Amino acid sequence: MAGKRSGGRKDSKKKKDDRGGKKSGLFRRRKVCRFCVEKVDYIDYKDARMLLPFIPERGKIQPRRLSGTCATHQRKLQTAIKRARQLALVPYVTD
Amino acid sequence: MSTLRQYELVYIVSPNATDEVVAELHTQVEAIVGKFDGRIEKTENWGKRRLAYEVNRCKEGTYVLELLSGSGEMVTELERRLRVAEDVLRHLVVRVDEELHVAERTATRRAETRERRRAARGLPPEAPTARAPVEAAAKEGE
Repeated sequence: MAGKRSGGRKDSKKKKDDRGGKKSGLFRRRKVCRFCVEKVDYIDYKDARMLLPFIPERGKIQPRRLSGTCATHQRKLQTAIKRARQLALVPYVTD
Repeated sequence: MSTLRQYELVYIVSPNATDEVVAELHTQVEAIVGKFDGRIEKTENWGKRRLAYEVNRCKEGTYVLELLSGSGEMVTELERRLRVAEDVLRHLVVRVDEELHVAERTATRRAETRERRRAARGLPPEAPTARAPVEAAAKEGE
């Protein structure tokens, strides 16, 4: 029985560790940069379909904290979106 | 002669323009590129596409992409001509050689690192399938 109890304690401790640093008590998956996973080296401004997931309804560029993109790729994504905007491939604003 | 650089030129032609106008614009670009000893590597016509927002009261336009190599003066001249051309709604010239170079370097560096790590784990270099050896390694570790 003692063994059982210690096992239970261990589990609860582990749970706490997993949750550490998160704002809410809810479990949240760690965000990973999509471009790093897919090993994209060059973000093409001509490929509007690739850029669209990073442009929410309003037409703004989604911030890193929401999309989970790494700094390097966010920077590249930013230039790509701005170029695509000039060519009317992607909107500046949408109401 | 100045150094050769690689550029990407995209221009949007008005939807009211006929195919001849589009072809005419292409020959104009060709002429300018030829004058400055440049080269057109590739031309792509994307056809008529919807614009994300209205440009000069137009809701769609014909996109043409040209991959060029040439000097900076060539680009200055191209931009000047495209700005004057009435049927061109928008144009964009981007210098791509440096960016592609960086991308290539990251790709090779990644491949090298992977190779080195494989070697460090005592795996044979360059496996036919990427997944199979990893699974085999995991089994070995158990």
